[in-house]
This record gives sequence, structure tokens and C-alpha cells, in this order.
Amino acid sequence: CQNLETLPEDRYAQETFWRSANAAYGGLVGCYSTLISRGLYGEDVVLLEEATSPNAYNYNNVDGWSNIALGTHNASNTNAIAARWRAAYTMIGRCNALIEGIDGNVELTPDAIVKMKAEARFLRALSYHVLTIYFNDVPLITATPDLDQVTAPRKPRAQVVDFILGELDAIAAILPPAYTVATEKGRATSGAAQALKARILLFEASPLFTGTGDAARWRRAADAAKAVMDLNRYSLFPNYRALFSLANEYNAESIFDIQFQGPNVGSSFDVTLRQYNTCAPVRELIEAYRMKDGQPRSSSTVTDPGNFYSNMDPRFYQTVVYPGATFMGATVSNTRFVNTGYTFKKYSVYDAGAASTAETSLGERQSGINYMLFRYADVLLMYAEAKNELNELTPDVWNATIRAIRQRAGFTDAAALTYPAGAGKAEFTDIIRYERRIEFAGEGFYYNDIRRWKTAETVLNATIRKYDNTPIIVRKFEPARNYLWPVPQIELERNPNLTQNPGGY
Amino acid sequence: CIFFACAGVSAKSVAQITLSEQNASLEKIVAKIKKQSGFLFWYESGLLRKAAPITVKLKNASISEIMDACLKNQPLTYSIVDQTVVITEAAVRHPAAPKQTDIRGKVVDDQGAPLIGATVRVKNSTRVAITDANGSFQLSAVSPADVLVVSYTGYLALEVPAGNGQALTIALKQDAASLSDIVVVGYGTKRKAELTGSVAVIDMKSKEQQTLTNASQALYGASGLWVNQSGAKPGNDGTTIRIRGVNTLSNANPLVLLDGVEYSLSEIDPNNIETITVLKDASAAIYGSKSSNGVILITSKTGKKGTPQVEYRSNFAIQQATYLPDVVTDPIQYMEMRNQAEINSGKLPTGVSYTPAQIAEYRSGLGTDNDVYPASDWFDIVFRNGFVQQHNLRASGGGDAVTYTMAGGYMDQKGLFIANDDAKRYSFDLKVDAQLSPRLKVGGSLVGNVRNFNEVGYGTQTVLSVVMRGLPIMSDYKQGELYGSSWLATPGRGNYENPRMEVEQGLTRRNIQDFLTRVTVQYKLPINITYDANLGYRKRDTWSKDYIPLMRTINNKTGEIRNFNFGTPPRVKEWDGNEAYYTLSHRLSWQAKIAAHHSLSAMVGQDYWYYDLKNFQGYKQGFFDNTLTDLNASTSQLNAQVTGSSSIEKLASFYSRLAYDFKDKYLLEATFRYDGSSRFAPGNQWSFFPSFLAGWRIDKEDFFGEGKAISLLKLRASYGKLGNQAVALYSYLNNVSTSGFQYSFGGVETGGAAVTSLSDRNIRWETTASYNIGLDMAAFSGKLDLSADVFKKRTSGILRPIGIPSQVGGLNGPVTNIGVVDNTGYEVSAGYRDQFGNVSVGINASASYVRNKVVDLRDEQIISGRFITKEGYPIQSYYLLQDDGYYQSQDEINNGVNYGTTSKLRPGYIKYVNQNGDKVINGDDRIITGSSIPKYNYSFGTMTEYKGFRLETQFQGVLGVDVYPTANLAVPFNNGAGVTKEWATDAWTESNRNAGLPLLTTFTDASENFQNSTFWLQNASYLRLKNIQLSYKLPQRLIDFARIKRVELYLSGQNLLTFSRFKSWDPELTITRNDLYEYPTMKSFTLGLNANF
Repeated sequence: CQNLETLPEDRYAQETFWRSANAAYGGLVGCYSTLISRGLYGEDVVLLEEATSPNAYNYNNVDGWSNIALGTHNASNTNAIAARWRAAYTMIGRCNALIEGIDGNVELTPDAIVKMKAEARFLRALSYHVLTIYFNDVPLITATPDLDQVTAPRKPRAQVVDFILGELDAIAAILPPAYTVATEKGRATSGAAQALKARILLFEASPLFTGTGDAARWRRAADAAKAVMDLNRYSLFPNYRALFSLANEYNAESIFDIQFQGPNVGSSFDVTLRQYNTCAPVRELIEAYRMKDGQPRSSSTVTDPGNFYSNMDPRFYQTVVYPGATFMGATVSNTRFVNTGYTFKKYSVYDAGAASTAETSLGERQSGINYMLFRYADVLLMYAEAKNELNELTPDVWNATIRAIRQRAGFTDAAALTYPAGAGKAEFTDIIRYERRIEFAGEGFYYNDIRRWKTAETVLNATIRKYDNTPIIVRKFEPARNYLWPVPQIELERNPNLTQNPGGY
Repeated sequence: CIFFACAGVSAKSVAQITLSEQNASLEKIVAKIKKQSGFLFWYESGLLRKAAPITVKLKNASISEIMDACLKNQPLTYSIVDQTVVITEAAVRHPAAPKQTDIRGKVVDDQGAPLIGATVRVKNSTRVAITDANGSFQLSAVSPADVLVVSYTGYLALEVPAGNGQALTIALKQDAASLSDIVVVGYGTKRKAELTGSVAVIDMKSKEQQTLTNASQALYGASGLWVNQSGAKPGNDGTTIRIRGVNTLSNANPLVLLDGVEYSLSEIDPNNIETITVLKDASAAIYGSKSSNGVILITSKTGKKGTPQVEYRSNFAIQQATYLPDVVTDPIQYMEMRNQAEINSGKLPTGVSYTPAQIAEYRSGLGTDNDVYPASDWFDIVFRNGFVQQHNLRASGGGDAVTYTMAGGYMDQKGLFIANDDAKRYSFDLKVDAQLSPRLKVGGSLVGNVRNFNEVGYGTQTVLSVVMRGLPIMSDYKQGELYGSSWLATPGRGNYENPRMEVEQGLTRRNIQDFLTRVTVQYKLPINITYDANLGYRKRDTWSKDYIPLMRTINNKTGEIRNFNFGTPPRVKEWDGNEAYYTLSHRLSWQAKIAAHHSLSAMVGQDYWYYDLKNFQGYKQGFFDNTLTDLNASTSQLNAQVTGSSSIEKLASFYSRLAYDFKDKYLLEATFRYDGSSRFAPGNQWSFFPSFLAGWRIDKEDFFGEGKAISLLKLRASYGKLGNQAVALYSYLNNVSTSGFQYSFGGVETGGAAVTSLSDRNIRWETTASYNIGLDMAAFSGKLDLSADVFKKRTSGILRPIGIPSQVGGLNGPVTNIGVVDNTGYEVSAGYRDQFGNVSVGINASASYVRNKVVDLRDEQIISGRFITKEGYPIQSYYLLQDDGYYQSQDEINNGVNYGTTSKLRPGYIKYVNQNGDKVINGDDRIITGSSIPKYNYSFGTMTEYKGFRLETQFQGVLGVDVYPTANLAVPFNNGAGVTKEWATDAWTESNRNAGLPLLTTFTDASENFQNSTFWLQNASYLRLKNIQLSYKLPQRLIDFARIKRVELYLSGQNLLTFSRFKSWDPELTITRNDLYEYPTMKSFTLGLNANF
């Protein structure tokens, strides 16, 4: 009989793929590329997650993100949830395949193999962190994807967290502190591993998972954050607005970035903020901004009743576009951003000045500014928060964290910068939570913060308003149900051993 | 008056007949004479029974001696013409015979081609003439009052007045139910009466007066077939064909062969087709690994011996959409409804899209400035009437040694969109056959089809979605390349659009060329063995270009100009696919008759098939402006992309057929096929596909007697194993893909690689066991025919991707052999035709039923969106929450088990049944319901003919199928789209509690109402007047002088009437689709001409 076998010419066979150095590196790039999928940090997902928080509003329910904001999400109606589960495990699968497969490489040095594996282990740990904070218990899979993993049940979160903390400790010793070769910038560093560890421990200590007052957990969180500070490798970038610009990528504040590059592997930040307005800051966020003396609008002495937008926290002007502001070379009208009257300009190429044609034609997935998943200000505020929980928020801690951050933001008023002597833990908690909300406004962190603090049941049970105070919609948050996301229906259908989170999903 | 003909094997020139009978019937004696002499006999049915019993004893007598002896003193007489003995009643002498003349004439078929050997008899006489090679005949001494009876095997007999001696041209119509018709079957032909399989035959002559723009449209109405045309986009209007249900979860398309070579129904001009045969049961098994979805055999036209024939066919048609949604086009009503919907969906009255001030402004502006305050009806704006014209010219003829045919066709179609929607087809058909020696015959053919069509720039589907989200408040302003939009912002529309702009700007071109070249050789070897070889080379080239210019809209109120498609335009993508199919098929066949009653035939053959695909694609952006569109005109290398790939597929086959019949009464057949395919891993490549078929001609049994009303009664049975190799190439390999995994480091984009699916190295063919029992009947001299089949098809080892949870690396599951599916059903079809004086009438009807059931799926279930495939239920059943009407009060909500957040719900929302009685309504409360495969397909038609006029109708329908569209216009205000009028009149309100629709909400903000539920599942059964045609054949005397053989004019209409409960769009849409974005189905009004010279 004739020889009937034909072999493909446009793809590799898995068994022999890892042999060359270039292919192995390609496999690693494949792991990283999951970061910019729609399930994790790609396109406009960060902004949509921001709009799930009390900071902003998404009017068109892209991927069901508005369902989450309104509390109407369930196991099957919200693609965002299913996509996150799937993307995290996609990254885990690719990393697992690399960790086992790269040993078959015949060109790389053993050192290089160990380092590349460490990068994959970092990404895998990051994925498990993402899974645990939204879904709690999840299947823990550490081997190359195979059909025998189909029935793996959920493992208690503690086990998963133990595993990734162990991994992070191990790889922190392997990963380099930084990359100097331009085309390696953006790969995982030992600092990134330590920052991830700090964030994991912060979540573990927080009310979401621990209720209140487990000092040992807060201690570990504080130590982990401090360890990053003690590296003396990172510092705050001096200009808050310029921090989120193309020109200042890889600055000293950046610990681990999601890498965007136009026109193929970019984000959709610019078009979303400039045109779609699908992450529209709401009046509540604007009102939350304190005044330039660091005091709330209601109690500040610099509040100007005739001019609402004057004398505010300097970060407001560097973050939000509001009616009357100058943006892209023109004065912003009430209807320029139709959904609330506002938009964000953080992480966009636009500011007061007129934009070039190239800039105004940036479309989806074409924006190149890297998104900082871990930046030093975050570590500082983690530290401040943990120390406050331990009743140890001393002037030294204040100066190293909140004061430094406010100074960098442009505060000059002593009332905003000076350690509030005599303030109690609760007052500090307010300040720290304010600081996180405002410092990271528009960066997609706040939804997780309000869950972590278990304040979502208050702040997400609210009516949101436009610039002129017209109410838009009433949001709901049911504490028994909404602190954790449901395990996607499709996963339950395909693996009967999976259980659903409580709350009647 | 009907004749019954018995043809002998071969008439001996000087017959020596020996007879010795006592009181024998004339029937018996005629049979004996026939057998001994080989003479043909012609007589009226039942006539022989008028003869008294005969006693005769003669030895080595001549035919006339025998006949004289037998008919002596009988009321019968006879005459002998050539080799035919014509028995008639003894003539009664008329006292005053009118003046007699000689008449001459010609007998032709309905195409005007001469019929050679037709019988022309003077009624009630013994005088008979047989037509010569030109179809001509001559009869002497015929009275003008005489009637001529003209008959020809396979054609309906006709009586015509003899007339006054002018030359007659008598056209006979083919008898559709003729039992002597030759039917094309796998690797050969058969007489219809001998068929043992279940076969549908479409004679393209019967479709001559329809506007077929795609050959697959000819299959409507064929029994046992579900033909579904979803979208009639010019140039891309093929149908989906399912034969006897759906066997498989992968490719369910039947195998299509043109003259024995794998081909596509879209790539042949319907005018070039002679017949289409559909093999529905085990008769398809001889095509082995590709046969399980049924096999469609297309036979193209061939040259016929005789004087040159020229045939011209042309038609012109106006086309319109059958259904368009009825949209709210009043801008004020639209805005108020949208606002109300948002409030009903949970928004606060102050948070709605259009403020009272805006509505007031619009109201006062209406009619003053259409650009700022439009009331646009976008379906009106972007659609026009379509137009299609087709022409086909063919010449054919030949002599004893060489026959030829050549044809050229042209089609020009303008679609419904106002721009960028047209198609052209150029077709060629050349064939020459030559008998080089008594043993050797060779042939060559070239069938070509060039199909060029243009489509709107973003593609039909996208642009239809844009039209369906066109709002009345959007302006149809146009100035140069600048288009109006709206000054009002609408949630869901981040981008300011204009549907006309997206129709007019940009373009999509497709040029598809398909050429089939064939060389055939036939050599007759000794002892009746024939060697046939068929070498086919099919070349397919698909070139495409998508060009998107920079599009801009203007806010007519503020004058602000916005880039619509910011980002990359102008941009162009061109790609080319280059496919070559090589087929080598050769076989030996042998047949013999042993001892008069035993017919034997055998065939062995071998096929080799090789498919080579190469493609590449180029993409560039960065043009100075919108004028040039070639890749070379781009000024930039930024983001320039080139991609390409290639693949090779091979299939090798061995096959054989053995057939035996006894006295034409018991028919037996067996086929065997052994196939090897490159789609599977070595070791799993080969598989064996046998089949067995049997037939019993009950009417040939002695107990049936002769001269009966039933001329055919046949029982058929078949069993066979059929295969399906429809699995993607290299599915058995674990592949690492390298495209689509880029990431950037330090601002430099880097290519990546990843595995995207698991694979199963052990996958094998799907196999279908096909069982069929059928009955064919013909009665009343062919006036009535009837056919019925029951069947069962069990497909096992179904290839499907297993759905695996994402935890396995987020990978797609492997394609693997899993599952057993049954299709059981029946088909019946019947036809009746008759003639009353000048009027002939005919009716036909067919119906088929199929029940699909998953028998085994290893206890798993495949849930995909709103579909489930599960044991005990049909493939792709709907899996939905069951609706329970509406909430009628707040109390009902507060006390109920609800879907979603109780506080969000309000009276008028849809209520769901809590199937499992727990405390929540979720995915566990879904039920399995509905069907995505129609249970019944049926058709019926009528034909009436009076003199030159002929009126035909054909209805076609499906029953028991459900659709579930969502998205723009299927649901209200989907993501910035508008709404249909029924939401204004039939939505739930306090005073309209039994409304057809729930409380008006937006789709986007009230997902509680738009859960996948039975509420939105709609019955898509329909009955449609598929075709109605009135044709008129010009009287022969008007055209004879111009030496034209036939001129026929017709008016016809396709899809003129449709009856369906589904009103959102044409019910003939892709059933499993979840939106309405398909090119409209069209109705056509056609004027046509068929002429033969």
C-alpha cells in the first residue's frame, strides 16, 4: 500500500518542540502572552474591573462586568468570570508544560534552563494567586496538561497558597534582580516574586479570608512588604502623571509590568478612555478626593464652594478628565464623556495638549504603555496597612510610606504630609484606604481592595451618579454571595468533582 | 390510448417458428413467438384477451404463416413493419372514406432533438411508421380525420390529428417515472427498475424554468433531504444539505462528485448538469470513508449522436428580500421606548439615555432639518431590488465515431445592498468522446467555473449587524466620503456609525476559479471485460481581497468630524488559496448472462486521491488616502504581515461490486471498499466498508399474471457500513502552534509558541451502519408511481472534541471517537400524471421523517451554549430554563424562588420553573427541549398543461425545528441597537398582562429576562411556495420557418409565499445560529427563454 502519512509544515510536534533554544524561549513567551489575554490583563480588562468598583461605571455590560457591579452575576451569565478562570489555567498549563518539557532542551545551559523555569514558576504562582482571591479553593495542578487532570477537585486555598509561597521563596533566589539587556526587560525578577509574595500575604491577613485581627498574619504581610523595601532597589518615580507614560516605562517604581506594545500586542486603554467611555469615573469618586490639605472636602478649609474642582488632591488633576478641564487641546464639555461626564487619563497618551493624528487613531489593542501590576507605591501602602493593623504605624512608617507617596503626588501642604499625631488605628485605616483608592484610581485595584476589606457590602450597595449628580443606577452587593465569584458553570459541567461557592449561584 | 410494448432480444431476419398449442390464449402464443423469433409486438393493452382460444400446429413456419393461422376468424388483424408485429382490431370499413394524403413528419423530444426509432401508428389501423436517424417518418394514404399515435420508449405516448398533409413536428415528453431510465450510481449506471438502493434522482430538465443561481438549489424537494439555504448572498448562495438527518458531530456534508471526481455544488453552472443522483442508503457504501453523510453524484451533459443541436437558455429576474424586520423608525417613539426600557431594567429615571430636553428639541426639530433630526429607516436606505440575468449557450452533436458538446454560461447578479454586492459567473463545459476502434474509446473534458463576487467591506455578517443596529436618530447625510451620524449619545455605541457608510465604503472581493480536467479511457477486453480509467485533475484557486478605507462621520449638529475606524485604516488584506485535487480511478468490469435467466456482473477498482493545499496572505496598512488599494501602494512597513501554510491529504481505495439477478426478478448486489486515509495515525489508516443490497420484483412473479394494472412492484433491502473521516488534518498529533502568542519585552514584539489542544493518537473513522427497506410501485401504465422507504442509520465512533475543564491548561479537548447516534425515519413519495384530451395534469408529493437520538456518549454530556448533546436526546438539543409566564405582582417576586437578584426583578419579568425544587434558579434547572434538526421535510407540487401552456407549482417545507436568535433586533435594544415594533404593541404592561412579550427592557441591562429559556425558543417550521412557473411553448408552425426547433417562454417566481410562525427573519436561516445577521433569503420574479436550434 502507498505511504499515506503526511506531516504538518506549519506547526511543531510537542515531543520534539523544546529541543532548540529559540523554541524553548518561544515557549516561555507563550506563557507570558497569556498575561495580555482578555481573561487577565489584556485590552481594557483592567478598566472594566475598575468600573466594577465604586470608582467608575461601565454602561454596556461588556463581558458581563456590569453584572458584577450590579450583583446580578451568576455562574453562567458573566463571561468575565469564566474568562479569568480559563486564562489563569491556560497560563498555568503553559508554565507546567515548560517546567517539564524544557529539560529536553539540548542547546541551553543548565543555568539558563533553571532561570527560565523560575520565570514560568513565577507566572504560575501569579495565576494561582489570581484564582484564589476570586474563587478561593481551586484545583492545584502542577504537571504538563493531561487528561488525568480532568477530574481534579478543588484544593483548600491554604494548600494552594502554601504551594505558591514556597515557590516564590525558591525562585526569588534564582531570578535576577533586574534585566539590563533591553529585549529582556519585563521578564520576572526576584523583586517581582517578593512583591507577589507580599500581596498574597496581605490578602491572607485581610478580613476577606481571616476575619479580623490575626496579628501573626499581618506580621508576615508586613515583613514581606518590608523585605521588598529593604532591597533598596525600588523608589517612587518623582512625577505621578508621568509615571504612567510610555517615556517612563521601566522606571524605578515599576516592579512587574504587563508589557504592551502597539500595534499588535497593545492594550485598548486609549480608545476606551478617549472614545468608548466604558470606564467612566463616577461622581462618588470625585467627591472622595480630598482637598490639597489632605482633608475631606466637608472639613477642609480650602474647599471653594464656587468652584467644585479647585484645590483638590493633586492626583485628581493627574488622573481624571472633568467638565471644564482641558483635554486633548480642547475644553471638555458636559457631554464630551456622555456616561458620567468624566473619564480617566491615567495610562493614556492624552493630556491637556492636542493629540497627534497617530495618537487619536489608536484603536483596540494598539496602545503601548505598560501596565504596572506591581509598583513600589503599592508595596509601601501594603506595608503601612499591615503595620497599622499591628498598631505599629509610627511616624517612621508614615514618612516612609504615606508621606512619601503624597509628596510625590504633589502635596505641599503640611497638613497633608505631617504625621497625624494622636490618630487612632481607625483613623489611620481611613487614611490608608483613602490613599489606596486615590493613588490607584483607574488602575483596577479597588474592586479587590473593597472585597479584601469586606467593605463592598457598604460601598457597592449604592446609587452611582453623573457629574451633575443625576443618579444612574442602584448597585447591589449581597455579602453572603458576592465576596467570592462563582465557579463558572461550564467548569462544573465538565468536571463533576468541582463544587460551587456558597451563596446560591 | 396506451400501449404495452414487449421488446425481444434480437430479431432473426428469417424466423423459423415452431408452434404446437391446444386452446391456448393469444397472450401465451405471442410470448412464444416473441421468444423464438425476437420480433417486437405492439398491441393495445387487453386487446389480446379479445381473441378466442387458439389451437395451432406448425413447424418451421414464417411469421406471417403463424400470424395468419392464429388470427383466422378472430376479430383481430395484424401487420408487420420492419421487425414489429402490430396487432389491432379488424378494421371497420367506412362507407365513404374521406380524401387521403401522404403525410410526413418528425418526432422530437421536448428539447427538439430527434427521436430515432419512435413508432407512429395510424389509430385503429395496422399502418405503422418508424422514425429514421433524423427522427423523420412518412405515412401514405392517411385521411385528415385519422389520428396518429406516437410512442417511444421512456416517453409518454401522444395522439395527434393527422391533418391535411402539412409536415408535422411531434414533440414527446419524457416519462418521468419511466422504468427504463438509466440512473447513475456509484461507479456505473443502472436501469431504474433494477435499483436496489434508495436513490433520489433530480432531472435538471425539470428545473429549467427556475432561477437557480447555485446548483445545490436544485435539490429542494428531493425526498429524504433537508436543504437549507441560509442567506442568498450573490456569489455565495449555496445550501446546506443533510441527507436523512445528522449522523455526526463533525462535518455532516454529503460527498459531492462531478463525473466521478470530488467537487463542489457551488462550482458548477446548473445549466451544465444533466442529472443529479443522491445515494441515501447503503448504495453509498462504495464510496467508503466519505460516504456516511450520503453521496451526491452530478452528471454533466454529454454530446449525443445526431445532427448538431444548439441550445440557448436565458433568464432575467428581479429579486427582493423575503423578510425584513419591522423596526421602530419614529425617532421620538424610539427614544421614549429606550428610556422606558432602561428604567424597566433598573436604571433611575434620571439616568436614562435621552433627556427630556433632548427629546423635546428633537420633537420640535423634526421635519425642519433632516440631517440633524432624521427619522431613518435603515433597511430602506441600504437595500434595493436585486437583479440577476443568466445565459447559457450549448452546441452538441456527433457521428458514430466522435461526439462533442461545448457550452458557455454567464451569470450577472446584483444583490440587495445598494453597493458592493454583486456576483458574476463564467462557466465552460467542453467534452469530446471518440471511439478510436471497436474496442477503444477515449474521452476528454474540461468543466470550468469562474465565480467572482464582491461583498461589503466588513463582510455581510458584520454589516448586517450594523444595519440591524441602525437607529432612526442616525442621519443619512452624505457629502463625499463624509457620512452623517447622530448628535445624541446612545449607550452601547462608543462609535458613531452610519450603516450606509459601511455598505458603500470598503470592499471585499472574492475570485474563485475551479477547473476540472478529465481524461477517460475505456477498453473492451475479451470475454466481456471492460477496463475504465478516469484521470481527474481539479484545480481550485481562491483569491480574496479585503480593503477597509478610513471612514469618517460627522455630527451634523456640531459639525464635529470623527474617525469611525481609527486604528489601522486604510488597510488591505489579500490572500490566495491554491488547491489541487488529483484523482486516479480505474476499474475492470465484467458481465454475463448465463443460461438465459442468470445475469452476473462483477467490478473491481482502485482509486487514489491526493489533495494539496497551499495558501498565503499579505496584509498592509498605511496608505496616503483612500484611492489606491494594492499592497504595493502602501507607504508603510508598519505592521505589515505575511502568513501562509500548506497541507497534503491522501486517500487510497480498493473497491469491488458483485451483482447477480435471476430472471430480472431477484436482484442481489454486494459492494466492498477498503480505504486508507492520511488523516489518521499509521496503524489506524485503513478500514473496510461492505454493503449488501437486494431487490425482489414481485410484479415479475407468475402469480401476478399479465396485463395487470401494476407494472412495477419491487421490494428493496440494503445494509452497509459507511465511513466518515471528517476530522481535521493532523488531529492525532500534539501540535505546538506558533502564531498568536506574541508578547513584547523592552518594547520589542517577540513570537511565542503554545499547545492549544490535546490530541488522541488513536482516533479512527466514524462508521455508520445503514439499514433500509423500500418499496417501489408503478401502476396504470406509469401514470402512478409510488416509493416508500424506512431506514435506520447507526453511527458509532463519532469523532468529536471532548469538552474538558479549563483546569487542564485551558486546552481544547482532544478529538476522539466517542458516542453512538441513531437516525431512524421514513420517506414516502408519490406522483400521478394523466391526460384528458388536450389537458395533462400531474401531482407529486413527498415527505420524510427522521428521528435523531444519541444512544451512547459514555454517560457524558456536551453542553455548548444553549445546546446539549446527551444520551437519549437528539444531537444538539436545546438546553434551557423553562419559562413560567411573567411575574404579575411584586408579591409573587418577593415570595418566589427567583432567578438572579430578587430586588432587581419587577412585575412583567419572565418567571422560570424551579425544576429541582432547591432555593435558587440556576443552570441546574434547565430542561432539554426543542430540536435543531427538522423532524419532517415535505414537498408537493402540481403540473397542468394545455396545448403550449404549462403551469407548475412546487411547495416545500420543514416541520419540527426550533431557532433561538438573540442579538440586534431579535431582542430589544441590544447593546445600542433599536427595537422591533412588536415591542411597542405587545409587551407586558399592567393593563396587558397576557402580552406576547415581557416588560420592555434592554437586553443588555435585564439579563434576567434573556436567560436561555424556552420563552425565546421559536418554531421555525415553514411551508413555502418554492417555485411557480407558467411556460408557453410557441406553436411549431410559427417557428418552423426560422428553422428553430423549439421556443419556450416562461414566467416564474421563487419563494413568493412563505407561511411560518417565525417572523423576525426568513425562517430558513442557520438553525444553530444565535443572531439574524444572514444575507436575506430572496424571492425572485423571473422571465425566461429556452430555445433549441
